[in-house]
Amino acid sequence: MSTATLDTGGRHSGGQAAAAALPLSGTMTGFWLSVRFILRRNWLRLLIWAAVLAIMIPVVYDSQQQAFPTQADRDAYAGVANTPAVAAMTGLPYAAGSLGGILVIKIWMTLAVAIGFAVIFLVTRNGRADEEAGRTELLRSSALGRHAYSTANYVVSGALGLVTGILISLLCLSVNLPVAGSLVMGASIAGTALAFVGIAAVCGQFSSTSRGANSLGVMAMALFYFIRAGADLQSDGVDPSALSWFSPIGWAQNMRPFGQDTWWPLLPLLALGVGGCALALRMETGRDLGMGLLPDRAGPARATAFLAEPVGLVLRLQRGSLIGWFAGAAVAGVFFGGVAQAMTNVLDPSNPFAKSFVGSSNSMLDGVLGIFVLFNGLLAGAFAVQCMAGARSEEAAGRLESQLAGALSRYKWLGAQVLVAAAGSGLMLLLGGYLTGVSSNGAATGGELAAASLAYWPAVLLMVGVMLCLHGFLPRLSISLTWAVYGISVMVAMFGGLFSLSEKVIKSTPFGAVPRMPADDFALTPLVVLSVLAVVLAALGIWRFRNRDIVAE
Amino acid sequence: MSAHSLSANNQAAPAAAIEVSGLRKNFGKTTALAGLDLRVERGTVAGFLGPNGSGKSTTIRILLGLLRPDGGRASLLGGDPWRDAVELHRRIAYVPGDVSLWPNLTGGQAIDILARLRGGVDTAKRNSLLERFELDPSKKARSYSKGNRQKVALVAGLASDAELLILDEPTSGLDPLMEQVFTECIREVKAEGRSVLLSSHIFAEVEKLCDTVTIIREGRTVEAGRLDDLRHLHRTTVSVVLDRDASVLASVPGINDLVAQGSKATFTVGATELGGVLAALSAYAPHTLVSSPPSLEDLFLRHYGGTAANETEGAAAATQIAGAR
Repeated sequence: MSTATLDTGGRHSGGQAAAAALPLSGTMTGFWLSVRFILRRNWLRLLIWAAVLAIMIPVVYDSQQQAFPTQADRDAYAGVANTPAVAAMTGLPYAAGSLGGILVIKIWMTLAVAIGFAVIFLVTRNGRADEEAGRTELLRSSALGRHAYSTANYVVSGALGLVTGILISLLCLSVNLPVAGSLVMGASIAGTALAFVGIAAVCGQFSSTSRGANSLGVMAMALFYFIRAGADLQSDGVDPSALSWFSPIGWAQNMRPFGQDTWWPLLPLLALGVGGCALALRMETGRDLGMGLLPDRAGPARATAFLAEPVGLVLRLQRGSLIGWFAGAAVAGVFFGGVAQAMTNVLDPSNPFAKSFVGSSNSMLDGVLGIFVLFNGLLAGAFAVQCMAGARSEEAAGRLESQLAGALSRYKWLGAQVLVAAAGSGLMLLLGGYLTGVSSNGAATGGELAAASLAYWPAVLLMVGVMLCLHGFLPRLSISLTWAVYGISVMVAMFGGLFSLSEKVIKSTPFGAVPRMPADDFALTPLVVLSVLAVVLAALGIWRFRNRDIVAE
Repeated sequence: MSAHSLSANNQAAPAAAIEVSGLRKNFGKTTALAGLDLRVERGTVAGFLGPNGSGKSTTIRILLGLLRPDGGRASLLGGDPWRDAVELHRRIAYVPGDVSLWPNLTGGQAIDILARLRGGVDTAKRNSLLERFELDPSKKARSYSKGNRQKVALVAGLASDAELLILDEPTSGLDPLMEQVFTECIREVKAEGRSVLLSSHIFAEVEKLCDTVTIIREGRTVEAGRLDDLRHLHRTTVSVVLDRDASVLASVPGINDLVAQGSKATFTVGATELGGVLAALSAYAPHTLVSSPPSLEDLFLRHYGGTAANETEGAAAATQIAGAR
């Protein structure tokens, strides 16, 4: 597995002394070939990401022009736009009185988060996933420099960000938005993409599996999103708070297209991108092909009886990811509670419009807590989907075959996966909700918010049901399709109102259907409907899985 | 052709270990199996041969209840491989040819998990196999080579007391010493009266171990029977050096494919004509005579070689197929 590593310091490899003297010489051989190869493998994926994200600009712009046709409408909106809900989810509405500013409120955060996810998945797909599958070994055995393929991967992913940014700028210009703002708009999205290329590159070096690399990337994204959410909730008026500088998404937000049009935060974004890639390449030099940063140690020569049980095996295989997700939920919970507590000082209860904007809440604080509880629900949903994706991975890698060749029924095997995903997500909801409550210093009790979070369990289970159903009928596509369903559900639940989707539409999506306690009152019907749907989809999927062929990749 | 020739001598015995007839399986538009027959009697070691993509692994996956056949019958130890999968799997052991392990678990853990899944672990047997195969069970699976991953699956499978072992190219990636250990292990299994289905590309291995052979091609059985019987169907190759010009042999009845060059000649003889040919040969006072018995390889290549009537052409094509592996 190991390749002859050429140390950057040039300490060994006598035969390649010349190359050692110039650390980069030869390591980039075949770079353009790699770029072409990656483009060939990913062109459709790249095209779809760029087109879908860019096309949102004219679509959303058009809907907002209809919603706020006159300057008077916009001015009225500007008076009520700065609610905690808007601040937490999409950022501070600093220019709500202009069409450009409204466009930023409605779409900027969606674009930034989506392009971030796009590059995280792309970098992993062409980086760690290929290395894990052994394809990189094949490539590197040919006349290909050590860094050529990785660099090509980063460059292509960065190019996706750039192209998307340019398209966004052009489309903004095409609807006659101000030139300076249009350019900053595209640049801020492209900058976010570049920053996340750097983050994803490092994640791909730390983890030795593609699943691990994606998880690290998604966790970084969630962390930075929550930091900026907290920052925007803390801020007084529409001035960015100091906390927002602790998140690259915050840097990009602070470029403020159609507001102050600040260019300089693009520099730290670029620096993070380039620095992350450089660090990743350095880490790549220092390790053997196929390995993570941590060397493998010897392990136990025997398996415990627990490990040989299906549930035990799932818990062991998901151990790292379980620890990561629970730690993430705990940190998020404490953070949310802290923000909620801080907000009690900032909120201005004299604004009558603001109240109506947080929904049917009794107070703004409850509205914000409702959003935090929603965040907990979304985190648990992502955990459940990822956990269930592990089941398909076992099948795809061919390991399920050996297990089923033992006296293990398909029901029992799949049941173990579902049990871990379902019970794990339930516990995560309780933990996140409880910690949000107890750390909110009196804004709500732990028990109250634990219960409010648990109300999202049926929605989370519906995600499990969707995965099971797709796993039964379309095993090869199940993971990506389930993530797509999850992603759309999240977008609608979080940003649906801002897209001018009607309440009815939002209420008919999994996470939108759940009563947003403590702001909303508890309602049993949607939870029952979600649960029934989950059970039906799961039953269909499990029945189909029992009756279909086992298909490896 | 002679797929049914075996069924006569086994009426009193319980159900055969494996009984497959007319098995069909399609993947979309591709036909993987087009009426395959396979029979493995209890207590025998059965070789299962065929070129890459001929349907060996598909057949085995159907026998394991991992794939559902589109037609035909398959029975495993008298049970239905799909319906009775879990019960049957307590009585069989499976070793895949391409072993995929959990990268972050050790080989020893994987062995225990796989062994426990089918019933339990015989620790003494497991440890002695680990020793014989020289496998370090405390290493993480991701650091194993192909051969070592193969050993993990072999130890897990051989440590069992399964009635039937289903082995899909089990020695791929093993070094010759380890192949030797494997051969010994299978002989022990056979001595205990257990049954084995051995899918393999290694003729020497099959000739050493197997009682019967089934050769398949493009999802159909083209040859099946006892290895000894099958050999008789084919021709012995003889090389001689005579005291005169060898072209005289052209007139001897029973001699085929004659290639004569000066006093040297090479030809083939059918089993029934061998006696007559030898008698005729003695009249020409041969200096040397080398006779090569029909090998499994010849048999195999004959069927691999496509439908070509011209045998040498067929054999050439077959060598290419085998070489391309």
